Amino acid sequence: MLRAGASRCLVVGNSTLRCLSTGKDNLPVTRSHDAKKMELNDILEKPSTKVPVKVSSDETMDIGGVPLQHQDARTARIFRPARETPQSAWANTKSWTIELDNRQRWENPLIGWSGTADPLSNVGMNMKFATKEDAIAFCEKNRWEFDVEEPHERKIKPKNYGQNFSWNRRTRIGTK
Amino acid sequence: MHRVGGQLVRGVKAQQKRSLSAALPPKKVNKVEVFIDGKSLLVDPGMTILQACALVGVDIPRFCYHDRLSIAGNCRMCLVEVEKSVKPVASCAMPVMNGMKVKTNSDFVRKAREGVMEFMLNNHPLDCPICDQGGECDLQDQAVAFGSDRGRLQSRYDGKRALEDKNIGPLVKTVMTRCIQCTRCVRFANEVAAFPDFGTTGRGQDLQIGTYVEKFFASELSGNIIDICPVGALTSKQYAFTARPWETRKTESVDVMDGTGSNIVLSHRTGELLRVIPKINDDINEEWIGDQSRFAVDGLKVQRLLAPMIRGADGQLKPASWEEALFTVAAKLRETPAEQKAAVAGGLNDVESLIALKDLFNRFNSENVMTEEEFPETSGGSDLRSNYVFNDGIASVESADAILLVGTNPRFEAPTLNARIRKSFLYSDVQIGVIGAETELTYEYDYLGASAKAIDDILAGKGDFAKTLSSAATPLIIVGSQALKGESGAVLLGKLQQLAEKLGNGKQVKVLNVLQRWAGQTGAQDIGYKAGTSSIRKTPIKFLYLLGADEGKVTKANLDPSAFVVYQGHHGDAGAEMADVILPGAAYTEKEGTYVNTEGRSQRAYPAVSPPGEARVDWKIIRAVSEVAGKALPYSDLKEIRQRLNEIAPHLLRYRDLEPSPFVKQALQLAQTSGSIDVDVSPALRELSDYYQTNVISRNSRSMAQAKKAAIENKTNPYAEEPTYARL
Repeated sequence: MLRAGASRCLVVGNSTLRCLSTGKDNLPVTRSHDAKKMELNDILEKPSTKVPVKVSSDETMDIGGVPLQHQDARTARIFRPARETPQSAWANTKSWTIELDNRQRWENPLIGWSGTADPLSNVGMNMKFATKEDAIAFCEKNRWEFDVEEPHERKIKPKNYGQNFSWNRRTRIGTK
Repeated sequence: MHRVGGQLVRGVKAQQKRSLSAALPPKKVNKVEVFIDGKSLLVDPGMTILQACALVGVDIPRFCYHDRLSIAGNCRMCLVEVEKSVKPVASCAMPVMNGMKVKTNSDFVRKAREGVMEFMLNNHPLDCPICDQGGECDLQDQAVAFGSDRGRLQSRYDGKRALEDKNIGPLVKTVMTRCIQCTRCVRFANEVAAFPDFGTTGRGQDLQIGTYVEKFFASELSGNIIDICPVGALTSKQYAFTARPWETRKTESVDVMDGTGSNIVLSHRTGELLRVIPKINDDINEEWIGDQSRFAVDGLKVQRLLAPMIRGADGQLKPASWEEALFTVAAKLRETPAEQKAAVAGGLNDVESLIALKDLFNRFNSENVMTEEEFPETSGGSDLRSNYVFNDGIASVESADAILLVGTNPRFEAPTLNARIRKSFLYSDVQIGVIGAETELTYEYDYLGASAKAIDDILAGKGDFAKTLSSAATPLIIVGSQALKGESGAVLLGKLQQLAEKLGNGKQVKVLNVLQRWAGQTGAQDIGYKAGTSSIRKTPIKFLYLLGADEGKVTKANLDPSAFVVYQGHHGDAGAEMADVILPGAAYTEKEGTYVNTEGRSQRAYPAVSPPGEARVDWKIIRAVSEVAGKALPYSDLKEIRQRLNEIAPHLLRYRDLEPSPFVKQALQLAQTSGSIDVDVSPALRELSDYYQTNVISRNSRSMAQAKKAAIENKTNPYAEEPTYARL
């Protein structure tokens, strides 16, 4: 055990040689004042310029390992969900979402749990996009066909409390 | 009681005529500048602070304020800080003023809201775990966002407020203890549903919502109070204790219960459809749907056709395999001569299945495809689209200043359209005339008689309403498709076109609007179906293909005695009863399809669940028949069939948008205007009890049957001590 530990130590020593060498006989220095200071650039390798590797969207799916039956014939629907009428807040209507064509679900006859053969059935529930372009790009990357549905924007018409009390309109509320 | 319209309105009618035009805002208005959280914003004068905040995407918490109801200002949750105002301001009721500086999220505001929330929660039960609103409750969400972590209620001394539940019918469940008295339901009942019996009694802590004497909530829009209730006081009886919103998947789709094509959201879980709620679409249904659209979905689980069936030698229908059924149909299809074949489509079909059926018959040299619903062949018939669509669009009702309803009861034929007419009635000085039955619509109208000959008088300029119409800047005629049948229907259409031409001369509106009763009718006529089944009675038909035709317009008696009848559809009803072979199809929640509403607006429905049992998507069944019969249709997936649609009628693929229909003038030239129209054009649906069961889905719906029963009972004895629906 001890020997093994020592040899590993030596290897570690070799790798640290460059920064703590006396410069004489490649022996490690034991005291820091013996060490010869080197510039950082001498220690680090020269930086090589990075060449971006071009990856077209096609390749991502080719090398991604997605089974064939889940690559083709999927149609995505890109839309902004409407505000749910039981609630009055609009926050959930701001982002775009994707929903893939609905595939069959079944119920396990033994315990009643629901199953599906579609691994992408939850895509719509978990992904949100800031813009429809993002959603389109995602669909293109995944080779899904898509339809974009423009949302129905709400119209805000001025209304006022005084209408309840106006004498000459049908909006007047008699009593409460 | 809170009351809008009715008696009071009649008193002010004359006065209002004088002053309304003067009260209208001038065309060009200077915008006022307000600062919302330091951001400058230019808004129209007269807007409230809350609306101004909505313009910049700041959601102010609220309970009583609702976008489509009048302002009440009683919940105080929308308090904001306005600079130079000592007290917090209720933003829902305070109009903006120039230079106003509003802070929506300061310490001052948060403290005020926390106080309001504490009061609300003092009087609210802690039953979130057993409350159906849990997960989509405004009170729950806003308590988390603005509430305190402790309250000062000494329930040992004060007790917790509790109320008895009220029974308002078989559709809406009430748990009155949960009520926070926002009065949204009261305002909805009075303003939208025109059910003034619903109101408040008592004051302060003792204030109660209800009908005072226990009573059925007699409205075709009653289900909407479930949605607008910000807490769990009003929930759906059908959906009670069924699911939580976070467990369900939601599919935005289109409704088929009436011709308007209301947008809906289908909630489903584990391949089971659980409920329907409206999807907001300002062009069609605003935020409401009728009770049939909301509750009739339980009819999709009963009386379904689950497997193909063939009628045996003993006259009994027996389950068969798809192969057997398809081969039987294909053999008969091949051996019957073209002129003895006919296909009849019902009113709930998507355009894809309709086009597949038409193509199939065309392959066999037959053009004998028709719809159950009748429509005149004159004026160009189905060839000129302006004849049979709601030309001006549903939203135009709001800007109309005179509306003539002919042979229609929009209250029950298209509840959301009727809600819009009522809105127009309340907020503008629209004048409404009715030819048909004198039914209880939700607005006042001039009754012009049951006979369509009143049109002649209007054409001649006789009577007060004729003058109202001719002086109107945007007149509108809404004619029910039911009135346009037979010989007199053709003349009626012609005369209405004449009238529309006279009224609409030089105006932006097309004036004449047809209100279709069936969701599939406009689409069927768009792709060239004959409207009406009269041609079946002319020649003996030996092969009849029924595609969801369940209204009993064609019976065995109309056919050759040896006729072979195929029924394709989703319910065992009139059509399946007379069939020799049944091909089980999918309902509107189970297939992707295109529906064209009465405006001619093409919309896509999406499947929420898969068809039950052996049932299949309709156009695929027809495609399979065509292949077995040896003349395969040239499309095998949805994209290809839509490509085919694109060849015939490209507007069908321009979803969401309204396609204007030209050739109004040409239709008038082709119109038949001579003849008598002295016929009674009273619509079939006159009372609330008529409304609930109008198609094959709602006829099989338990909740709709209960509602119908309650409506009948309510009619005979509105104050029954214990109505039978109470025991359900």
